[in-house]
Amino acid sequence: MSDKRQTRRDFLKNTAASAAAGALFLNTPGGLGAKADAKTRVVLIRNKALLDDAGAPRKEVMRQMLDEAVAALLDEKEPAKAWKRLIRPADVVGIKTNEWNYLPTPPELEAAIKKRVMDAGVSAKNISITDRGVRSDDVFERSTALINVRPMRTHHWAGVGSLLKNYIVFSRLPFTYHGDSCADLAAIWEFPEVKGKTRLNVLVMFTPLFHGVGPHHFNRRYVWAYRGLLVGTDPVAVDSTGVRILLKKRREFFREERPLSPPPKHVFLADTRHHLGTADPGKIELVKLGWKDGTLI
Amino acid sequence: MDKPMQQESVMPPPEVNGWKAAPGDHLYQGRQLFDYIDGGGELYISYGFRSLVSRKYARSGRPDITLDLFDMGSSRNAFGVFSHTREKIEKDAGQGSEYSDGLMIFWKDRYYVSIMSQKETPEVKKSIFELAGKIARSIPNEGPLPPILDLLPRKGLVPESIRYFRHHVWLNSHYYIADRNILHIDDTTEAVLAKYGAGPKRTVLLLVEYPDEKAARLAHDDFTKTYLPELAGVGAVRIEDGTFTACRRRGRLVSAVFNAPSDASALQLIDEAEKAAEKLLGGNKSNER
Repeated sequence: MSDKRQTRRDFLKNTAASAAAGALFLNTPGGLGAKADAKTRVVLIRNKALLDDAGAPRKEVMRQMLDEAVAALLDEKEPAKAWKRLIRPADVVGIKTNEWNYLPTPPELEAAIKKRVMDAGVSAKNISITDRGVRSDDVFERSTALINVRPMRTHHWAGVGSLLKNYIVFSRLPFTYHGDSCADLAAIWEFPEVKGKTRLNVLVMFTPLFHGVGPHHFNRRYVWAYRGLLVGTDPVAVDSTGVRILLKKRREFFREERPLSPPPKHVFLADTRHHLGTADPGKIELVKLGWKDGTLI
Repeated sequence: MDKPMQQESVMPPPEVNGWKAAPGDHLYQGRQLFDYIDGGGELYISYGFRSLVSRKYARSGRPDITLDLFDMGSSRNAFGVFSHTREKIEKDAGQGSEYSDGLMIFWKDRYYVSIMSQKETPEVKKSIFELAGKIARSIPNEGPLPPILDLLPRKGLVPESIRYFRHHVWLNSHYYIADRNILHIDDTTEAVLAKYGAGPKRTVLLLVEYPDEKAARLAHDDFTKTYLPELAGVGAVRIEDGTFTACRRRGRLVSAVFNAPSDASALQLIDEAEKAAEKLLGGNKSNER
């Protein structure tokens, strides 16, 4: 989508050129994107045994999923090697998490990431995990590397709350990015304290929220046990893949086309307006590992 | 910020089935709403939000119950917010309600009310229903629905699909048309969208009432020029996905139909809406296709 007007009919007429838009807005099948020589890799890993009877993640299963995904992302056999390619011992690492009350980043996953960062040689004093504290956190202020980790969910005003939106708290005035349903969230990724620092993006798809109701935008009816992780270096590619999964789930659940409300245009504009990454499924190499039932993509 | 719950006419009970109101209700006005529900506040502000009183009910060893009582300034706004996510028709409290998995939302007069517990148990559910009933009864009057709803043809209407709004973002939320506001929907207009029929591709009827004929004409022209240039001289256009789209202005009303299986069915919906408009809004106005 460029800044000129785009309509549903444009997407219908020109599916090849706008597959990403189709995926975001119209539920058209993916894989119709423009041919590209270089693709960005996104790894989807799922494990049926991830959640226990109470719905909590099993630590060991989760740690294994994370390691396998990171190794596959970087084409390494040994997860430790992959982590060492992402993070250097001299790095100061901010792990940007999300503390939304109803669906926070699982603390066990935060701990697993921290452990791997330490295994890569970073000392504990140079690692911090926070959400809203990023602007006042000494480690984040000194950070040379960021790891972005949060659950996937629908969002009142941005369409989805996912990796791109997770950085909104780097802004002193987050609400100034609410305009046009958060269209320009990717601009935050140009802030000096953020730009070029993100080594890894982890979109938590353990129990995504695919629809929201009420002032808190949360109801258990619209949470499902997908038991997955989406991992990549390009936040736009990971987010757009997550959006496609949510749209499929919505279509399956509601038995009709149900665009996200409002459309998550910031994901698409992060590609076409801000050039932060790619939202086009034709330019994304999706590597699928693990449990296959109900993958939806 | 903290003060006892006090909104004109509304008296939530201090206790229900052993759940007691925690001290210190929270009052949010205007953009203070963002302090409570962050980006979620935009929805309510776009519907004319006035104030919110939030209260927690607690009972030892049981999940908390959170009450959020929104004063939306008018019944049309309260209904609009309620309609935004409606999935089924229920009336267990107020003028319309919906319950699912520990969340009850309802509207009455100018109030939109949410009662939520993160964990549903039979006890919690019973208490949520009782609380909703008590609050609804403490709101003395019912409020009128937005008059534009009366223009919707009844035959084939899916009642729970009705969406009422005055912000263009919500049109795209319910049926994506264009990234720009080509129908000029804003807080001076009244818009309603509803679905007809069954199946995965139901027909969508959109009605927008403008403050005057000039505004309606400009919006109609922008929409047809951008979205439906083939419309000149024909009733409806078969678009790329094989469905029919139609759009017509009559006086201050612009009617548009999407996803229709035939041109006749598209035009029939518009005819019926215009007939109702003539009765309710009055005055025969020029037709423009």
